[in-house]
Amino acid sequence: MKERYKKYIVEIPEEMSIPYAGIVESPKVNGEQPMMLTGGWRIYRPVVDHDKCVMCKSCVLACPDATVLLVDGGQKIGFNLDYCKGCGLCTWVCPVNAIDRVPEIDFEDGVPFQDALFLLPHVEALYAD
Amino acid sequence: MAEQYKDKKEEILKETVKMTGYEDAGFDWKSEKRVGATKFLTGLGAVAHALKMADIDVASSYPIRPYTGAMMMLSQMAARGELDVEFVHGEGEHGQLGIAHGASAAGARAFTGSSGVGVMYAMEVYSPISGGRCPVQMLIGNRTLDPPGDFGSEHTDALSTRDQCWIMGWAHTPQEAFDNTLMYYRIGEDPRVYLPQMNCQDGYFITHIPMKVVVPTQEKVDKFLPPLSFPDALDPLNPLGHGPQLFPGQGHVLEATRVNAMMGAFPVIDEVVQSFNSIFETNYSPFVDLYRCEDAEYVLFISGGHAYTAKFAINHMREKGMKIGLVRPRFIRPWATDVLADILSKFKAIGVVETNNAFGAARQAGILTLEVATTLYQIPNKPVLTAFMGGLGGEVIRLDEFYYMGDVLAKAAKEGKTERTAYWIGFHNI
Amino acid sequence: MTTLLEEQVQAKVDLPLLQNIHKAAALDEIYVPGHRTCAGCGPALAYRLTCKAAGQNSIFLGPTGCMYVANTSYLCVPWAVPWMHTQITDGGAVASGISAAYEARIRKGKYKGTFPNIYVFAGDGGSSDIGLQAASAMIYRDHDAIFVCYDNEQYANTGIQTSPQTPYGAWTTFTPPGPKIPEAKKLWPKDFARGMIALHPALQYVAAASISYPVDLMNKVRKCANVHGSALIHIQSICPKGWGIRSNQTLMVGKLAVETGMFHLFEYENREYTYQYQPKAFKPVTEYLKLQDRFAHLKPEHHAKIQEFVNQGLKRCGIKIPVEAV
Ligand SMILES: Cc1ncc(C[n+]2csc(CCOP(=O)(O)OP(=O)(O)O)c2C)c(N)n1
Ligand code: SF4
Ligand code: SF4
Ligand code: SF4
Ligand SMILES: [Mg+2]
Repeated sequence: MKERYKKYIVEIPEEMSIPYAGIVESPKVNGEQPMMLTGGWRIYRPVVDHDKCVMCKSCVLACPDATVLLVDGGQKIGFNLDYCKGCGLCTWVCPVNAIDRVPEIDFEDGVPFQDALFLLPHVEALYAD
Repeated sequence: MAEQYKDKKEEILKETVKMTGYEDAGFDWKSEKRVGATKFLTGLGAVAHALKMADIDVASSYPIRPYTGAMMMLSQMAARGELDVEFVHGEGEHGQLGIAHGASAAGARAFTGSSGVGVMYAMEVYSPISGGRCPVQMLIGNRTLDPPGDFGSEHTDALSTRDQCWIMGWAHTPQEAFDNTLMYYRIGEDPRVYLPQMNCQDGYFITHIPMKVVVPTQEKVDKFLPPLSFPDALDPLNPLGHGPQLFPGQGHVLEATRVNAMMGAFPVIDEVVQSFNSIFETNYSPFVDLYRCEDAEYVLFISGGHAYTAKFAINHMREKGMKIGLVRPRFIRPWATDVLADILSKFKAIGVVETNNAFGAARQAGILTLEVATTLYQIPNKPVLTAFMGGLGGEVIRLDEFYYMGDVLAKAAKEGKTERTAYWIGFHNI
Repeated sequence: MTTLLEEQVQAKVDLPLLQNIHKAAALDEIYVPGHRTCAGCGPALAYRLTCKAAGQNSIFLGPTGCMYVANTSYLCVPWAVPWMHTQITDGGAVASGISAAYEARIRKGKYKGTFPNIYVFAGDGGSSDIGLQAASAMIYRDHDAIFVCYDNEQYANTGIQTSPQTPYGAWTTFTPPGPKIPEAKKLWPKDFARGMIALHPALQYVAAASISYPVDLMNKVRKCANVHGSALIHIQSICPKGWGIRSNQTLMVGKLAVETGMFHLFEYENREYTYQYQPKAFKPVTEYLKLQDRFAHLKPEHHAKIQEFVNQGLKRCGIKIPVEAV
């Protein structure tokens, strides 16, 4: 029986295999989804002036991408630049104008000067050799 | 009525009465030693009893004749406290299937059902359920599609969903409906398969006619059907994402895995039916029910409840010396190509009794002829193939109409051809 | 320290209300970075705030729409809790099934944890149009689940088409303005949340919230979660792409919608409405309309018509606050 119906089974090569029923692992709580890096979209980078910042945390709740971070044991505002899309909402919401929007091109490590970092893993694999 | 049977009218009538008079024809089960409580149950009652024994967790309902009775019985069982089930009243068949989908994805053994236009209304959701590999079971009591509001049985409703990757087959007696309910859950819930199932039965002819059903003990059912284990269920203790978009170039891979689940069901069905036979002392053959085929030259190919009548007709024709038999597929999906090709290659002529309509299809036939013709394609000496369009709009197929088909086939076997690719029963003479 | 999840699994506890923005900001991130929604996407912010408020003992359902497609591209999901795609049509039905499954499995001893909070996160199309029947049925049957309508006032994912929530006068790709139809969209939107209240007397809690008022939004989500039975939350979620604004204007426009009375923040509890935004005066709608490209074609008479609609709306709700003159 098994032998007979073998011919109807599509053999899926290892490199084409995909998760069962398209069911995937969830990311960790407070984690990241590394399959979808979005920092490369950014045109303006948020930069916080810690002297101005009054730690009201409005910017933390304004970010659609959860990329405004509480750093230094929750004492300071920081950004997750691997994912920040540069939308500018944190800047808009800040009551004391502590967050600047600086063009990426002004940074040595600005988006225009990075190549592989923001490529998706599967695209990166294409460039591997 | 075909000319040569005119004088036999009385006799035929008597036979018909005997058939519907709750006599168990016992064709298939003569040698069976089933043990259990004997009840007279309709097809719907049989399924409801089986569901109770399968300890389903969630049922979603929406009223439409003729399948409704099964839900009514389930709700009574729930009200009496015999079955601990969440009975959810769907807002329509589309919602019904959505409810069953969610319940199954959350690890519950889920059941739903419908008929006719209701089956069609849920069309969007069949593929997501099979794609999500959720082993929902759906009872279909076949009903003709509108127009008009026709109550009679016709298989077009269920067969229209045949390409949605649901295990699918027809019972031809209430006993088989009971048995299929258990077998389908076990097949669909097998980790090698994980697919939803359509447990079909003809409206009225099976859904509403009580016949003898041997109901086994709960102990045996529990031995045959273990509780559902669904490791990927939606559960905050084990967070998973179900159904994200894919990478480009992966869609066909996902579909390949789904077709593998369906085609991989063949050995599982084989195993499950053998296990059923050994636990319940039955003698089902997994894929095909053959009736008086040993020396047959021509056969009726027929799925579902009309096969029951056909078996009587075949007895009569055999008495007259006609070399006719009957081939009844137990599964339409997966379609047992090789088993059927082996069997069908032995005959000179095959008449597919279509109880469905596929307007404008090849050979002006129905859906099953397309499958049978494709099956025959791999055989070197092909039998003559024709279709009998009968049982449409819920009409019964009478004994004399089966005699007529027998005559067409006898002629076809002799001459090696037929005049028509499809005979509309009641419209043309031979 | 026990995690919220461990707590929830031992015994289901009510989610405490958040006293201030610091408490809200400190909550776990459930909707994590790494999704393809547009920069400044309002629905994405609505998702994040809802998830943050919801915590770990949650299951999220994503009917087809931007919040399915843009969030899950390329085999990845941004949710740290179980999530499942549903059809745009049947979010409410699938949630009903999951809720029924947990009822049965817990009662029958087949599941050891506590009942999860089940959220349907549906767009305005998936709530008030093609998904309406399933949403209504879930709420009518009072399944223990939360229906979230993230309202970006259009079918966004298919390329910005009119939905029953699209306001009068808005441009969409199905309602372009032209000499014959100068105002673009001619119909008035459905009053979704209030309509659902009218239709479902058993509903215990309904809220309307805006992404521009995040703590209010999160507390409303928590109140939904704490209801035993169905609850509904309607979140105005500004879509920079479809509304023709810049990505950094999302929150400003959301705030203006509330400040002009275009969108009401309310709670419906114990059969009573309370309105959270009670200014000295509402701003004229023109301030709101002129910011958005989708209203760019409108003439003063259209603005007046919309102002009249807003005034009538405030009156119907018994809000007796004047509107500033333009
Ligand atoms: C039955 C069905 N019809 C149409 C579509 C196409 N479709 C995909 S997303 C979408 C828009 C959904 O709009 P909405 O619910 O408001 O969510 P949004 O995209 O605005 O976030 C539509 C119509 C579909 N997926 N299914
Ligand atoms: S610019 Fe936008 S994405 Fe980046 S941190 Fe600020 S709010 Fe978040
Ligand atoms: S909004 Fe401004 S002041 Fe408040 S925490 Fe952020 S940067 Fe600091
Ligand atoms: S189109 Fe609108 S709703 Fe969709 S992802 Fe972009 S901003 Fe968000
Ligand atoms: Mg929308």
